[in-house]
Amino acid sequence: MKQSFVFSGSGGQGIMSAGITLAQTAIVMGKHSTFLPEYGPEQRGGSAKCTVIISDADIISPLPKKCDILVAMNEQAYSKFINDVKEGGTVVVNSSRVNETEREDVKTVSVPVDDVALELGNVKVANTVLIGALIGATGIVSKEAVIASLEEKFKEKSPQIMQLNIAAIEKGITLGKGADK
Amino acid sequence: MATYKRPSALMPMSTGYCPGCLHALATRLVADVIEELNQQQNAINVISVGCSALNLYSWSGDDIGAAHGRAPAVATGIKRCLPERLVFTYQGDGDLAAIGLAEIMSAANRGENFTVIFANNQTYGMTGGQMAPTTLVGQKSTTTPFGRDPMTTGYPLKMCELISVLEAPVFVARYALNSPKGVMDAKKGIKKAFELQMAGKGFTFIELLTNCPTNWGMSPLDTLDYMTGNTIPYFKPGVYKDKEGDK
Amino acid sequence: MEKRFMKGCEAIAEAAVRGGCRFFAGYPITPQNEIPEYLSRRLPEVGGAFVQGESEVASINMVYGASATGTRALTSSSGPGISLKAEGISYLASAQLPAVIVNISRGGPGLGSIQPAQSDYLQATKALGHGGFRAMVFAPASLQEAVDLTYNAWEYAERDRGPVVILMDGCLGAIMEEVELPEMKELSYTNTEDWCLARVNGREESHMITPILPELALEMLNKFKGMTYKMWEMSDVKVEEYMLEDAEYVVVAYGIAARVAKEAINTLREQGYKVGMIRPITLYPFPKASLDNLDYSKVKGIIDIEMTIPAQMRDDIELQVKERCPVHEYGRSGGVLLDDEGVYEAIGQIVKGGA
Repeated sequence: MKQSFVFSGSGGQGIMSAGITLAQTAIVMGKHSTFLPEYGPEQRGGSAKCTVIISDADIISPLPKKCDILVAMNEQAYSKFINDVKEGGTVVVNSSRVNETEREDVKTVSVPVDDVALELGNVKVANTVLIGALIGATGIVSKEAVIASLEEKFKEKSPQIMQLNIAAIEKGITLGKGADK
Repeated sequence: MATYKRPSALMPMSTGYCPGCLHALATRLVADVIEELNQQQNAINVISVGCSALNLYSWSGDDIGAAHGRAPAVATGIKRCLPERLVFTYQGDGDLAAIGLAEIMSAANRGENFTVIFANNQTYGMTGGQMAPTTLVGQKSTTTPFGRDPMTTGYPLKMCELISVLEAPVFVARYALNSPKGVMDAKKGIKKAFELQMAGKGFTFIELLTNCPTNWGMSPLDTLDYMTGNTIPYFKPGVYKDKEGDK
Repeated sequence: MEKRFMKGCEAIAEAAVRGGCRFFAGYPITPQNEIPEYLSRRLPEVGGAFVQGESEVASINMVYGASATGTRALTSSSGPGISLKAEGISYLASAQLPAVIVNISRGGPGLGSIQPAQSDYLQATKALGHGGFRAMVFAPASLQEAVDLTYNAWEYAERDRGPVVILMDGCLGAIMEEVELPEMKELSYTNTEDWCLARVNGREESHMITPILPELALEMLNKFKGMTYKMWEMSDVKVEEYMLEDAEYVVVAYGIAARVAKEAINTLREQGYKVGMIRPITLYPFPKASLDNLDYSKVKGIIDIEMTIPAQMRDDIELQVKERCPVHEYGRSGGVLLDDEGVYEAIGQIVKGGA
């Protein structure tokens, strides 16, 4: 089983961080994974995109053109990459920023991750809500494994930050499971 | 009674410099100081491109040839790896003040703990007497046949003045080798620079005003007078920075 | 063995430290900045020195100085910076000083593009600097291979006393994969004491290191190096040969392009097409024999896949194919990445069309 994910949005939305977290979680679970970032030349505010591949076997090429799952954090990213999703694939959209959905041949999972993050108390965890939504919709990694990799990532931060991220993951998973439309 | 003999830091061979060239004297002064400080086994000479490269074979201690202008970069690499060794570059004015301007200014600005010996003879000697960044206004060269014209070639670069405005260098001084007093002062300056380096104080820079009888088209003695009348009034000898002494 | 999920540039940097690197000088250029950034923290931990040079030119000359002391020295850059380092690389070759130079390559020519490309094959294998010299060029296709090649790069650089190049495109520089990190090498200077400046192991005599030589001595050095390059061809070629036994079409690709091509080859094999691959791991010495010894009564075509246009390895391929079959090429360029679908289609078209 080999699946490819594209995370897209603008710089500062935690796109790269979300991609790395997913890849690391897959590795914690004993799978193979590659993470490939693509940056615009801008340091901040430009477009951000990364490709994550998760596979049970060794990953030969890390450069698929089409992906199984697209995660789009804003409208611009959605329209740029929606046609790269394979037929029958899944699209997780941040419905706080993406209104239109164009394709009928893919499963669209809409979660207002910005609004959810604000309700939780910090817009910075929007990308954690997003990972949760992705996991809820696809079951690609387990909740326990992603929390373990977040604990590793935030080990030097305060327990409050970790608590907030766990809440964000849990909320995301719930919404991701139910948001299938 | 003092005996005039070859310093042990030099090989028993001819230096290769033209008769009357003060490069040979400058080399000898450095070698004398190394012997006085008993650093023959510890010194590393980073040799540059131009007439100064003639030193490569006359040096009896460790030495390494650098690309044109890059001696301060090479010395940086050496000194960072061997901080206990006495490291110095020996560079001419084309090498240091034109093609190597970035390397000298940056090494000085980082405060690298080595010494630069800068022989300024206002010409590219090895390549046949072209205009150097230090060639005086009006001075003839093979590429300024009517004399250096500041309207198109600017003015001679004053390296001591430039380097002394940087924060990091600890000792910056210029000496003229056309008089016995100049020679004695220069030797003291070189010694002070090496001692500061050995104490780990930082970047030291010694400019030595020299001549080029061959490319200036003068007898050696005439070059000494020319220096008094033309070079020294523009490139004023003196200590430009002495961070430790000022304390 | 320690496993870590690492970024390509950081994996190379850590492998360098474990392989004995104790000096780095470099200048910022995308897409390799993670190498100096990583080493600026890492080298001081192991007693090494890190210098951010004022230029590419200064940086390679700092490496020249550091190497002269017997210290394992590294610099890294990308195409435009490697051009500037050409001077220093040539001087390393002339003064017979070992060093490792990493090129995380991007689109070119000129400032080109900061996005990944394999546009520096010709520079790395044929034109690293003036004066006629060669360097071994390693082209890893995975981060594990990058770690292993970097870890051992100084063994070659010191054995043959000259620069060694690691050429890897920006895609592999930025990618994260899991790697196994080797143990920290125990350093000894016994293999450098007969030429380096430092008086190590009680050596008393001084040394001169020079990039300029009298004519006859220089000719002797040139001849000796010529023999060394021949020796590389006989004993140091590294190549992966993949499914060549019955191959009717042979892809030649290195680095990231080889990975994308292998994916396509696997798919085509599943469909019954006899496609194989030659993947040079050393771009210089080039794996001539792998190409020359193919059974051309069976092979109908060679397909050169590179992430640059026009293909740069093609000349080296054609010299071995000797017109015994057609040579095709496919690539993307300028910072546009190869992708699985594009490469599959390009190879498929040739293989299925029987061209």
